Amino acid sequence: MRVVVCVTQILDPEIPPSEFRLNAERTAAAEGIGQQVISIFDENALEVALQLRERMIEREQVEIVALTVGPSSSADVLRKALSLRADRAILISSEGGPSLDGFVVARLLAAAVGKLSPVDLVLCGRETGDWHGGQVGSFLAEALGWACVNFVSRIEVSEGGFLMRRQSDEGWEIVWAMRPAVATITNDEANVPRLPKVRDTMLAARAPIPVWTISELVGDAAELWGGSGRLRMRELVIPSTSKACEWIEGETVQEKAARLVRALQERRIL
Amino acid sequence: MRLILVVLPTPEIGRSEREAIGAARALATAFDGEVNVALIGPVAESIAAYRVGASLASEASANARTFLIAHPMLREYAPELYVSALEQLLAAVRPDVVLFPGRTIALEIAPRLAYRLGTAMVTDAIGLRAEDGAVVITKPVYGGKAHAVVVAPRPPVVVCVRPRAFDPIKEGIAEGGIRWIEVTLDPLLRRTRLLERIQEESATDTALEEARIIVSGGRGMGGPEGFQLLGELARWLGGAVGASRAACDAGWVPASWQIGQTGKKVAPDLYIAVGISGASQHVVGISGARCIVAINKDSRAPIFKVADLGIVEEYERVVPALIEEVKRLRGAERA
Ligand SMILES: Cc1cc2nc3c(=O)[nH]c(=O)nc-3n(C[C@H](O)[C@H](O)[C@H](O)COP(=O)(O)OP(=O)(O)OC[C@H]3O[C@@H](n4cnc5c(N)ncnc54)[C@H](O)[C@@H]3O)c2cc1C
Repeated sequence: MRVVVCVTQILDPEIPPSEFRLNAERTAAAEGIGQQVISIFDENALEVALQLRERMIEREQVEIVALTVGPSSSADVLRKALSLRADRAILISSEGGPSLDGFVVARLLAAAVGKLSPVDLVLCGRETGDWHGGQVGSFLAEALGWACVNFVSRIEVSEGGFLMRRQSDEGWEIVWAMRPAVATITNDEANVPRLPKVRDTMLAARAPIPVWTISELVGDAAELWGGSGRLRMRELVIPSTSKACEWIEGETVQEKAARLVRALQERRIL
Repeated sequence: MRLILVVLPTPEIGRSEREAIGAARALATAFDGEVNVALIGPVAESIAAYRVGASLASEASANARTFLIAHPMLREYAPELYVSALEQLLAAVRPDVVLFPGRTIALEIAPRLAYRLGTAMVTDAIGLRAEDGAVVITKPVYGGKAHAVVVAPRPPVVVCVRPRAFDPIKEGIAEGGIRWIEVTLDPLLRRTRLLERIQEESATDTALEEARIIVSGGRGMGGPEGFQLLGELARWLGGAVGASRAACDAGWVPASWQIGQTGKKVAPDLYIAVGISGASQHVVGISGARCIVAINKDSRAPIFKVADLGIVEEYERVVPALIEEVKRLRGAERA
């Protein structure tokens, strides 16, 4: 069984608002304000794939292939995947192409999945940690014509397909999906990403990473960009959030508690 | 400009749908447009539900219509069938803007529909306006550290509205035309099957999205026991209990309690954040709160930057005292 995990590189989402700045054109974050890291839900997706491989160990060989679309510097996220013991990693180079939108990324991924055929399962993060688009996995399923289940946190192999635990607004559901399938992965206690071993990180740093080009995958790149431009970025603005916090002080915790309740009553909240 | 709000299966047509109509109405009034509502699946078969849907439409614009798509194969939810049915509806209605209310299920249907229609799409919209025939949409990016203003130059465009970002409209009286839409569905399209649905328990009887008061805990709670304390405080306050991603990932509380960018978006009158550092991805989910109280042992925690009231203290010490104080208050009110 072959499982493809789609990963992407983003600006470290943990940088605090006080350090966040925009580029001169106000179209993206300024370069250099933080590290580039693997998008957080893609890490959850890798973890789901690794657990699936571990559970299947006695029944069937599972090969995990990590894929990313991006510039050559995004090979770092593939090395991260390899350090966690993905079997292979492939970079789809976006160099020379116009800016990527979800449609373009999904079409490139779909072409790569086709080239890797047969693939049984494709995992994507539920959304990227920078633009929060939440679309690529669903687009990819459409492009492939496969089953798609969103907000999945655990996957088991079952008769003719997969059993997926899917998060809902009220709790969770068990959904059966026909093989081959796409799942978008969300976090829960069962898929907290593991840490790589030092030795595996060293090996991953030296591993060769094949590069597939756009023309190799889709032939006429112009056709691919035809759909982009459906949305134009006008500008980014930084919302003002800072409030003046009123500190509740007191000699004892009882005093603090009483003062908090009083402050809330004065504000007509309690 | 023609808008359509798609109401997907939901336990009730509620605030999220009314907020989306609020967003649509603002857009429609500026452009002398029409707002339609489509109900699909079991909601289209329940007279009570579609009357609410129709009343929403008529509140939004005078020439509104309500479309109902019911089909035996839509009684059980399978996204691939819903996408196919909606594709048929939209081919007939040809709207400029397809709106989805802020519910998780919409994030599953909308992108697939946009892909089929070949249209632009934006999730998480917190602002929506028209400009010379183009649709201008605002959405938070970088975990809420910035807002992106994007333009869809040529409609149609598919937009998922972020919950608790728009003022909901009040329910009106049902009027205006109701139209049944015939769809043909190929059983072979079906690729998924819902086998089981589990509702997770919550700490109190109040639903998180509807709560007027929310007490929320983070990694600083140190374990599930701390949440017992928060539950007690929430019960005395008549509120609900929420959590940060860190607390959910630790397995201390169910994932459905998570608040933030990828959890529930809430707009209570009072939000008490306990042992939560205040990462932007958490704070973006509480931007509609009227008053934020932060309890954290670290005075430099970013949560204090967005809080109205702050207590620097270990929660183990101050939350029990707070429970006593609220009990006293409630006792006094009752007396
Ligand atoms: C794409 C993306 C989406 C995300 N979505 C969400 C989301 O929806 N919701 C969400 O919450 N997070 C989300 N996150 C994660 C977010 O970035 C933070 O990692 C998370 O919110 C941190 O949770 P926390 O504040 O509980 O933990 P921490 O940041 O570890 O903070 C714990 C706090 O507890 C305090 N503390 C410790 N002990 C005590 C004590 N005894 N008494 C009082 N205070 C104490 C500490 O001082 C600290 O401030 C997302 C991240 C990404 C990248």
